[in-house]
Amino acid sequence: MKLFNRIRGPRLSTKLALWSLMLLVVPWVSYRQLVGIEQLLVQGQSQAQLLTAEGISTLFNGREDLFNDLPVSLDDYEALYVRPLRAPVRIDGRMSDWGESSSHARRFGVDGEGQLSDGGFELSLGERGGQLHAFIRVRDDVLVMRNPEYLRLDNADHLRLSFIAADGEDGRVAITFPGSGVTTAYKMDAEWRFAEEGAPDNRVQGHIEELDDGLQLEFRMPLEMLGSRRYFGLSYVDVDDPETREIRSITQTLPKAGKESFNLVVLRSPEVLNIIQGLGYSGARILVIDPQNRVRAETGNVGRGVVTREPQRSWLDAPQRWFGAMRPFVHRLVMWQDWDVEQPTEDTQAVADEVIRASLAGDPIALRRRIGELEIIMAAHPIVSRDTVLGTVVVEQNIDEILTFQRLALEQAIILSLASLLAVFVALLAFAGRLAWRIRKLRREASAAIDQYGRLKTSVLHSEINAGDEIGDLARSVSGMLSKLHQHNKFLENMPRTLRHEINNPLNTLSTSLQNLAEEVPEVKDSKYLESAKRGVNRIGAIVQNLADAANLEDALGAEDLEVIDIQQLLENYVANCDLAHENMHFVFRGTRTPVYARVADYRIEQMLDKIVDNAVDFHRSNTPIKVQLDTHRDMLRITVANRGPTLPADAEESLFDSMVTHRSGDAQNRLHFGLGLYVVRTIAEYHGGSVRAVNLVDGSGVAIMVQLPLAEPEVRTEIRASREPQLRSA
Amino acid sequence: MAKRIAIVEDDPDQRSNYTDAITKKGYDVTAYASRQEALEGIEKQLPDLAILDIILGDEVDAGFQLCRDLLAKAPSLPVIFLTERIDEIDKISGLRLGAWDYLAKPISLDYLAERISSLLRINEVRNSAVSGQASATARQIGDLSLDQEALLVSWRGDRIDLSGTEFRMLAKLVRVPGHAVSYETLMNATMQSLVTNNTINTHMRNIRKKFEKVDPDFACIKSEYGFGYRWIAS
Repeated sequence: MKLFNRIRGPRLSTKLALWSLMLLVVPWVSYRQLVGIEQLLVQGQSQAQLLTAEGISTLFNGREDLFNDLPVSLDDYEALYVRPLRAPVRIDGRMSDWGESSSHARRFGVDGEGQLSDGGFELSLGERGGQLHAFIRVRDDVLVMRNPEYLRLDNADHLRLSFIAADGEDGRVAITFPGSGVTTAYKMDAEWRFAEEGAPDNRVQGHIEELDDGLQLEFRMPLEMLGSRRYFGLSYVDVDDPETREIRSITQTLPKAGKESFNLVVLRSPEVLNIIQGLGYSGARILVIDPQNRVRAETGNVGRGVVTREPQRSWLDAPQRWFGAMRPFVHRLVMWQDWDVEQPTEDTQAVADEVIRASLAGDPIALRRRIGELEIIMAAHPIVSRDTVLGTVVVEQNIDEILTFQRLALEQAIILSLASLLAVFVALLAFAGRLAWRIRKLRREASAAIDQYGRLKTSVLHSEINAGDEIGDLARSVSGMLSKLHQHNKFLENMPRTLRHEINNPLNTLSTSLQNLAEEVPEVKDSKYLESAKRGVNRIGAIVQNLADAANLEDALGAEDLEVIDIQQLLENYVANCDLAHENMHFVFRGTRTPVYARVADYRIEQMLDKIVDNAVDFHRSNTPIKVQLDTHRDMLRITVANRGPTLPADAEESLFDSMVTHRSGDAQNRLHFGLGLYVVRTIAEYHGGSVRAVNLVDGSGVAIMVQLPLAEPEVRTEIRASREPQLRSA
Repeated sequence: MAKRIAIVEDDPDQRSNYTDAITKKGYDVTAYASRQEALEGIEKQLPDLAILDIILGDEVDAGFQLCRDLLAKAPSLPVIFLTERIDEIDKISGLRLGAWDYLAKPISLDYLAERISSLLRINEVRNSAVSGQASATARQIGDLSLDQEALLVSWRGDRIDLSGTEFRMLAKLVRVPGHAVSYETLMNATMQSLVTNNTINTHMRNIRKKFEKVDPDFACIKSEYGFGYRWIAS
């Protein structure tokens, strides 16, 4: 219980600091909000992509013609995929201008170890502006160039193109080359021996470059040569012996044991491509896929988009790095669920397949998927025509931008709110500290306004009086209370004086009337009643006088002149006179050998001693001496008056010297006691800068009252002593 | 011819008590209740002695004002303040105004009568002294000259103005020079009914100060702490 009472709750600053912790809700809320925004953005992005896909798909709705240019099944054909070329290509036998299409080469004539065998080649096909571009890198250990002197064309290394022309006839074209440089193409006869026409076929333009281990050949031909079916085959005819000029081997793209003798040139349908080409946008890839899962057109890519990332200020970097590390922890703390960076890591291919499958089944769908570092959203919308699904439009876009935005916003929000939190926390702490300091100051001043005896020291407060806030109000109100209390105290202090004024007049009436009565009626002159009435009047007068004296004491003391006198001498004299004044009493004085100088008003010291000695006399046991002792200690002198007799009650020592407090027991002697005597002692002692206390003697045989007074300043003491010396000597 | 005494006292009971008592002693007493009344009455006929209360009705300093007015008319008029205002400051201002005595209520009527007769006698002596007759009653104690009849004190030839009470105390003190006089004796000398050691001390200090005014080295009055005072012939 006691312990409980002692706990009073935290200090003001602690409380404010604790409350300010509530600001932590700010980063918490902003985190949640940002996660919400991210979801919203991703969702919005999905919707937008779905809409894009839908929009694109409507362009194809009902356009069966765009999708019917290929056999329904490709199973019987070996497809040669042609990629669209983005930039114009020079026919120069080099691949440097092919862009990314250069990496999609297919190999033919591969030996057991995966290396190109002699006569094997790599083929890349591209399409631009209605031209079919081909780039062939051939490995040929011995190059045998065409000799123009021979009419036969099959007695040197050459390339054969076979196709079905637009008119349905078989097309045969051989590309021949007499050395590095421009090639020549001829339409060939059925045996591939001689040119059908004498003039070369200039629609096929090529360029060759010899290498150490073979050659590179680039050529182009108009796509329309292939007709609408685009059956096409390509073979490299290798001749190694320049003498015999026998064909050593023919490496071809044609299936070795196919039902048909042609490859199928599968183009990303240019019409479809043309339609979607203009629709592509940054960071997005649009695919058109037919029900056979064949990609019919593709534009754009999902590579890292042009994310405009502001150059970051360096001071944000460290917190950001730190935040990146903290993110999973923060996420778990705020969202109550595990942070999963690999969220969309289900087999991403499976995701893609599912998207395509679902949309080919007729349902628009959007899913998130991950390709390597990138996170993308795949949205697919079916292309329909009269209840059949012609294909699907897939729009893929990476959401790196969104994620980057989100991460940046998140980091900034968290960092800013942490920083502001810290700032607010510090500000609050400072504010609380200042508040507490002001309140403490006010408390100190307020409690200093009243001394330990409950007397007012001051009637106004000075601190915080001009403050406009509630503390100022408090200070003003306390100050107002003090001044009211001061007025009341003044009234109380003046009370004895007023009382004396008021009582003296009727008392005088009474007294003079009694005297006149005695004159007028001589019979009553000796009446004991007249006497007792006179005594009563005297007592009332004495009471009022004492009260007024005590009340005036402090004021009266202020008017005293202090002089340096020898307390030792004073006491010695005083005690000697006490012996004379009090009959049957014995006083013992034990003083110092040397003079003890103090700056005092001697009458007041005498008055004080009177009160102490009166007190000691009243309480002493008969036939015991009253001991008066003077000693000095450092800067103080101490007068002790001890008597044997009843001891003080334990709780009396404090209040003994207060006004109107007496600890006399009921056996009132015929004296006046208002408990003013020891109050006078205290007031005088304190006026001289000293103090007084009453203690029971150690052996419990009586009481000692000890007055401590400051000694006069050392220089004054020596001065006086010096001036006394000659007198002493002369005496 | 009976001496004329003017009494100014606002309380009717006390006024009539004073009047009765003093009339009985054979004086011609006129009593006034207020300052205006007193001024008008005194205007008509100047009394031989005036007894003033300080607080008259609502005027807290009426007595002082009256005293000033009276002394302006008759500088040698003996004025006694008889009042319930016994604060040091009031006493001092009263005596400074030129009052001959300052008596505190409650008072003994016998004492009052005694004071009146003594002051009237002193006034007579003074008047005659002023008119040229050398004082025959003066007593010489060292440098101190004390005229019991005229209540005149001088120190080394310098006149020292003491109030009646102060004079009597000094007279008691110097009766046997070098002999300690107890508080009790001094209290009797004041002839007042209620006197404490403190009152004696205050009087003694005033006496000392008055002497010190004419002689800064004055040190003949010595305190006997716890007993009383002693006059040491220098």
